[in-house]
Amino acid sequence: MTDARRARYVALFAAEARSLLTGARHALARWQEDPSQQDSAEEIFRALHTIKGMAASLEFTAAADLAHATETTLSDLRRGEHAATVAWLRAFEVALDDIAAECERAIAAAGGEGAANTIGAARPSRIVRVDLDRLDALLSDLGSLVTARQELERRSEADTFSPIARAALQMSRRLDTLQDRILDVRLAPLSEVFERIPPMVRDLARTLGKDVAVAVSGDRLEVDRAILDQLAEPLLHLMRNAVDHGIETPDVRREAGKRPGGRINIAARQDGDAVIIEITDDGRGIDRDAVARRAREIGILEAQAVLTDDGLLSLLERPGFSTAAKVTDVSGRGVGLDVVVVRMREIGAALSLTTVLGRGTVFSLKLPTRLGIVRALVTGIGDERYVMPLTHVIELVAWEKELVGQQDGRAVLFVRGDALPIVDLRRLLQFRGAAPPIHRPAVVFEANGQRVALLTDAVHGQIDAVVQPIERPAGLARWITGATVLDDGRPALLMDLASVV
Amino acid sequence: MAHRILICDDAIFMRTMIADILAGAGYEIAGEAESGLQAVERYKTLKPDLVTMDIVMPDMGGIDAVKAIVALDPNARILMCSAMGQQALVVEAIQSGAKDFVVKPFQPARVLEAVQRALGG
Repeated sequence: MTDARRARYVALFAAEARSLLTGARHALARWQEDPSQQDSAEEIFRALHTIKGMAASLEFTAAADLAHATETTLSDLRRGEHAATVAWLRAFEVALDDIAAECERAIAAAGGEGAANTIGAARPSRIVRVDLDRLDALLSDLGSLVTARQELERRSEADTFSPIARAALQMSRRLDTLQDRILDVRLAPLSEVFERIPPMVRDLARTLGKDVAVAVSGDRLEVDRAILDQLAEPLLHLMRNAVDHGIETPDVRREAGKRPGGRINIAARQDGDAVIIEITDDGRGIDRDAVARRAREIGILEAQAVLTDDGLLSLLERPGFSTAAKVTDVSGRGVGLDVVVVRMREIGAALSLTTVLGRGTVFSLKLPTRLGIVRALVTGIGDERYVMPLTHVIELVAWEKELVGQQDGRAVLFVRGDALPIVDLRRLLQFRGAAPPIHRPAVVFEANGQRVALLTDAVHGQIDAVVQPIERPAGLARWITGATVLDDGRPALLMDLASVV
Repeated sequence: MAHRILICDDAIFMRTMIADILAGAGYEIAGEAESGLQAVERYKTLKPDLVTMDIVMPDMGGIDAVKAIVALDPNARILMCSAMGQQALVVEAIQSGAKDFVVKPFQPARVLEAVQRALGG
């Protein structure tokens, strides 16, 4: 093969392999949303197969082998030899990234075409791929270290000028820097999720016979990888709602005096430590009068209450409210919002809503860019540990038989004259292990304007917990929102007290 | 007159490579197709002397395209181009009427030898 001819093949390979890999990623995104979609799996298979053939022809052996291995695991899956679990899909996504990286490396090594356009190829030796598990381990160690620091600070408080106290202060500063750096390493660009949106919107719009243009901005901003992973699903859900229930069909839009084509904007911007993502559509908006009527019917809204945007959102996010058959027609873009809100809360994000009937809706997500470290109380049931952020906790009360009574048929705990409803953590967990101790402490907390006494078996002190989002198996209680690692290395689940009530 | 060949593959890369090998040996490229469906259509209009056919393609794979072309023209001469590890599919293609096969990555000598044999037979 002449050099000129080979250069031409490399250029063709570069263009075709990149486009196939992008197509494969989009197909994978569609497939993750709807695993029954065989077309997507088929498309990924063809892409891998073609890349393998091309790479082999150019003697890009490593790329060909990777593509072949990945194609094989996909074939095995399609033959039913294993299932497309979340872990498998995640690994498969990584495999696609690996193939892309290997292709870029080979193109660059072949003196290739446009190779300098991509960061990976331009600086191949400066980038290290790290498994998220390893970064999580690093973060857990950091959590233990932060907890140990508190102990050190507590002990050196007595004499703040002692050498120990000064050394503790030094270490404390370094630890802050270390924490920042570790959290920085975990950042990933929003584009990883955003790039899945336009093809999804186009597909859905085509299916629904709608004309929808989508614009994306701010996708270079970075957030923690774990937050990003949790963001994808609720964000795609909001996008689907916008296309399905927000944007009207061209006929309806014309009648309303609008452009026949709808628009959806996704814009991300930095706001201090947070990132704000706004999803704006120019569709029909949410009919708040209809939502209010429904809420009054089922008795969750006062007859005279005025429904603000916040009030509207708090109705729509009530479990089951927006998905109830009767309300689906009217809640439009609110469908399934309860699930979105739970997911958002798990990553410490806040959701807000602005809607004008006939004009459109804006959903605004404010998310932390980095994982948080929260001051939390460690409680125990049997051998298990449950951690709750101190933000909602008011006090700890020793539980005594005399303090317990009945009011309106509910067990209550009398604390200085107030009757607080009791929630037993054992019952909440359906715990069937060892019997409870005789003396059980109650954690008094306030959420949604109500004080509640949560009965536990024991309180094991406070920690600075590094909160890590968790993958949610079906049926996991909604008040379990994350996980952390205790200073003795044991994992513990994080409770959102507000969702217990 | 040079034999006219229709090249079917979904990758431009592969079509270019095959075209280079064949044109270099004096064959005429009658046309190209990037899906099985297109291959069948092009076969009808171009009536080539030989078809090179990829197996994995969108909108009707190579095997179904072989069956459709052979149904149109029992004397069609088709050469399968397969990747490693597709023996079973190659066998099915031959049983469906393909004359021979070559395996990617292509060795020009092997491709030309198979083309000559298919055209001669």
